[in-house]
Amino acid sequence: MSDIQSALHKRARALLENGDVEYVIGWENARGENKTRPAFIRRAEDAERLVWNRWCVNSTAKYLLHDRWPKGKIAICARGCDTRAINRMLSDGQVKRENIYILGIPCAGVENQICRRCAHRNPLVYDELLGEPAEEKTDFDRFEKVKEMQAMTLEQRRQMWEDEFTKCIRCYACRNVCPACNCRECYADQYRTGWQGKQFNAVENRVYGLTRAYHVGDRCIECGECERVCPMDLPIMLQTGRMLMECNELFGQYECGLSDDETPALGTYNLNDADSFG
Amino acid sequence: MPVNEKWMPKILAFCCNWCTYTGADLAGLNRMKYPANVRVLRVPCSSRVSPQFVLRAFQKGCDGVMVCGCHPGDCHYTSGNYYTRRRFMVLKEMLEFNGIEPERFQTRWISGSEAGKFRDTVAEVSEIVTKLGPNTAFNERRAENV
Amino acid sequence: MSRTGVFVCHCGSNIAGALDVERVAEAAGKLPGVRYAATYKYMCSEQGQQLVRDAIAEHGLDRIVIASCSPRMHENTFRKLLKDTPVNPYMLEIANIREQCAWVHTDREQATEKAIDLVRMAVAKVSKNKPLHSSFIPVHKKALVIGAGIAGIQAALDIADAGYEVTLLEKESSIGGHMVMLDKTFPTLDCSACISTPKMSEVAAHPNVTLMTGSTVESVGGYVGNFDVTIRQKAKYVNHDLCTGCGLCETKCPAKVTSEFNQQLCTRTAIFRPFPQAVPAKPVIDPDSCRKLSGKARCGVCQAVCPLGAIDFEDKDKLITDTYGAIVVATGYELVDWAPLYPEYGGGKYPDVITGLQYERLVNASGPTEGKILRPSDKSVPKEIVIVKCVGSRDKKKGRAYCSRACCMYSAKHAHQILDKIPDACVTVFYMDVRTPGKNYEEFYDRAREDGARYVRGRVAKIFRENGKLICRGEDTLLGRSVEVPADMVILETAMTPAPEIRELCARLSISTDEYGWVQEAHPKLRPVETQTAGVYLAGTCQGPKDIPDTVAQAGAAAAKVCILFSKNEIEGSPMISAVDENKCCGCSACVRVCPYRAVTLEEIDSREINGTVKRHVARVNAGLCQGCGACAAACRTGAIDLLGFTNAQILKEVDALCL
Repeated sequence: MSDIQSALHKRARALLENGDVEYVIGWENARGENKTRPAFIRRAEDAERLVWNRWCVNSTAKYLLHDRWPKGKIAICARGCDTRAINRMLSDGQVKRENIYILGIPCAGVENQICRRCAHRNPLVYDELLGEPAEEKTDFDRFEKVKEMQAMTLEQRRQMWEDEFTKCIRCYACRNVCPACNCRECYADQYRTGWQGKQFNAVENRVYGLTRAYHVGDRCIECGECERVCPMDLPIMLQTGRMLMECNELFGQYECGLSDDETPALGTYNLNDADSFG
Repeated sequence: MPVNEKWMPKILAFCCNWCTYTGADLAGLNRMKYPANVRVLRVPCSSRVSPQFVLRAFQKGCDGVMVCGCHPGDCHYTSGNYYTRRRFMVLKEMLEFNGIEPERFQTRWISGSEAGKFRDTVAEVSEIVTKLGPNTAFNERRAENV
Repeated sequence: MSRTGVFVCHCGSNIAGALDVERVAEAAGKLPGVRYAATYKYMCSEQGQQLVRDAIAEHGLDRIVIASCSPRMHENTFRKLLKDTPVNPYMLEIANIREQCAWVHTDREQATEKAIDLVRMAVAKVSKNKPLHSSFIPVHKKALVIGAGIAGIQAALDIADAGYEVTLLEKESSIGGHMVMLDKTFPTLDCSACISTPKMSEVAAHPNVTLMTGSTVESVGGYVGNFDVTIRQKAKYVNHDLCTGCGLCETKCPAKVTSEFNQQLCTRTAIFRPFPQAVPAKPVIDPDSCRKLSGKARCGVCQAVCPLGAIDFEDKDKLITDTYGAIVVATGYELVDWAPLYPEYGGGKYPDVITGLQYERLVNASGPTEGKILRPSDKSVPKEIVIVKCVGSRDKKKGRAYCSRACCMYSAKHAHQILDKIPDACVTVFYMDVRTPGKNYEEFYDRAREDGARYVRGRVAKIFRENGKLICRGEDTLLGRSVEVPADMVILETAMTPAPEIRELCARLSISTDEYGWVQEAHPKLRPVETQTAGVYLAGTCQGPKDIPDTVAQAGAAAAKVCILFSKNEIEGSPMISAVDENKCCGCSACVRVCPYRAVTLEEIDSREINGTVKRHVARVNAGLCQGCGACAAACRTGAIDLLGFTNAQILKEVDALCL
């Protein structure tokens, strides 16, 4: 990891010195032990502030949406999950590839539960790769947790979601961090159309949870950021995971963010699609 | 809320203008009889129906929701119902995953000439939903009473 | 607050007999925003309509709900009525309390409750209605006909005769299509060229027709009434303004290649007219076979001999753009390339196994043998001839399940002609069925049999050579035994298949094809010459196999559709189409993907954002293409694209109202 970090310092410094990029998005040490935070390095002399270690849990990609029309290029440190997020935003037409310089970082997993079920430990797209490729793993079931929940009875699931969503404080952190949530104005904020009530109650919260799952479910890149940032520890990934699993079962092998030109499952069809309606 | 004998479910049916709505009109023209607990909401095409409308109906207290359109292959707009099919195949599973009886949500393909199928479908869904009883899982008014 | 008027119709006793209309009106009167509620015996009657007009004037109503029969019945009646009032015709909703309430329920109480619900839903929806205005699309009264076979020629002539301008496009260097290749036409046996060449000349000379040969469609934009079409006109290398068509160049050209028109049975030169009666009757140079243009030799003989200096080796493809109000697709068919499909028939290695179209050229007086039936291998007169039908047709294993429709009749014609021209000939026809559904067709088939054609029911399983004969081994399914028929020549009546370029063209026109590539009509029964794209029509075999009479009839029908469109200066577009809120739109193209009409596209706009004015993409709806299905509206997560008349806000209100 330290190799990658020193390579990163070197490259970030060079990119900034040469004026190739406007700034570099990565991580830096935060207050407190074993903590990092996203960093935005604009000066070459600050390049050494960048760190790469197992405490680098934040996804960097979503920050690209904060600067959709940059004056120059943005360099971004991107692990496998971050590159899937970048692919997501490219597929959705939200950012332009020519505005981004991707410093690919192979990642064997950081201090995040989700990394145990990561099938893309190497960046899928990059301008340069720092360090040696990481070993990919396949010894896990992508939908393990969803399947566990499916084994419950309908009533148990209803109760579980009722309990979970009762906790939800509708802070929208899950939305704000999600690379697939790239609308200019979230449906939930549009009081005129009245899609979503503002009240805090289990039903209103569940409508939000289900709607969000439906909005991003066929484009979810499984980075798990929604769950990581949830202050109330809601198992949000279960919802999108269930939808991905369904797409996977109904429409064939389905995984998002693997290329920059993807059609979401619900944005297309096949004449012979599964049909249990009659 | 206790289910008494008088309880009638409220079922909302989104029907596409070209097939199912026409089929429903034909059922009327033929004076077919079916339960009075279904309200039809006309949309141009079943692909107009956002799954959010379905969630909204449950949230506001509908006990059952139907989305009906032309048979796949017969869409007035060529391909609309293929999207409908995908959207609602997925939504049905999502409802089930969230603890909502999937039978409360029904998608059916009913053509403009299938008045009998419309009648039978309404009767069938009405019976299913009546058996299930009131929607308590996703109904805000009932939730408030909890 | 809205000022809604609710009018509950008795429909005589149709509604009033089944539910309590007074109670419905009373309940309606208490709904938020309702200023006036009344019942009337027949709302659609003049008196009923007057009631609406009076109430609008008296109560200052700004939106109307009619609780009556199905909107499919009288929505337009009431919209028309509102046209002459201050209320916009689209500030109207119909509650269907007849077909979907009064007529289908027996319990008066339940029916009344349901009617109140339906009215409440309509009142809620109408509270979110917005005035809508029809857009008027100008019609550019010039038609483009793609393909100049008999279908295209007929369609062009009909449209031109009606007084409209037509551009007739043909990818080959002459118009005429397949029909001019044929010798005689069934069942009347009139000479095909004699009836088609006059039409060719007529269309070429027509003052309203612009002929563009050697041309293809490069791109199509726009919509009904206003298609912007770019046409690629291939380089001819001959200046047709100077050329008189004397033909001297053709006699001197040293490059010889097989003739496409004569089905590879003879050669043509590199500078050529495909056939003597070609229209235009002037040659073009085929750059692939020309020695000079292909760079094989310096040649240039044609240029040297041309007395008018019409040869121009520098000629380039031209791109020509024009606007058309309507497009007729008449791209016709091709015969299936049978050789790779039928190794069991020799896969093309026996020269005397020919196609029906090759036979047509052989028997044609202007063909390579001047009308004498001579087999290709040794130019001898074949005595024993086998005709095999359904080659490539009606055979799923060979990829085509459909019937090619014309072959039964022309194989009968072929049999008849052979027996007529070669008196002691022996003709055997292998068939699966004989289909003769046309005027005088069955009689013609009978005649072929009376002439002596032997019909054997069954497919030919194998053709092989033995002792100088082609042996056709098959099964006679009627007798249940295998047969072997020796032949000097075998004619394969091969399947019609769509022109290969058709899929590309259809993609450009936003129309679809079936699994084989035949163009899909808008409705197989009621709209057979229309397509799903308004303003694009079909003629002839591009839609499916058919014979000449059907083709010509369909061409006339397509022309009539064009003329109907051109009879108006403007077409009124429905205002119930999608609209984009560019502020909300993030340009993710979810709507673009689901639109069946390609009415939604992404366009770049200048947008003021936090860091100044930037370029970004947003969805745009083409009002001429949008048909108002709303698939885009349901695909849009942010609600930036919405369907006017069925907006998110309207439907949400309606849903909420049901559950109150």
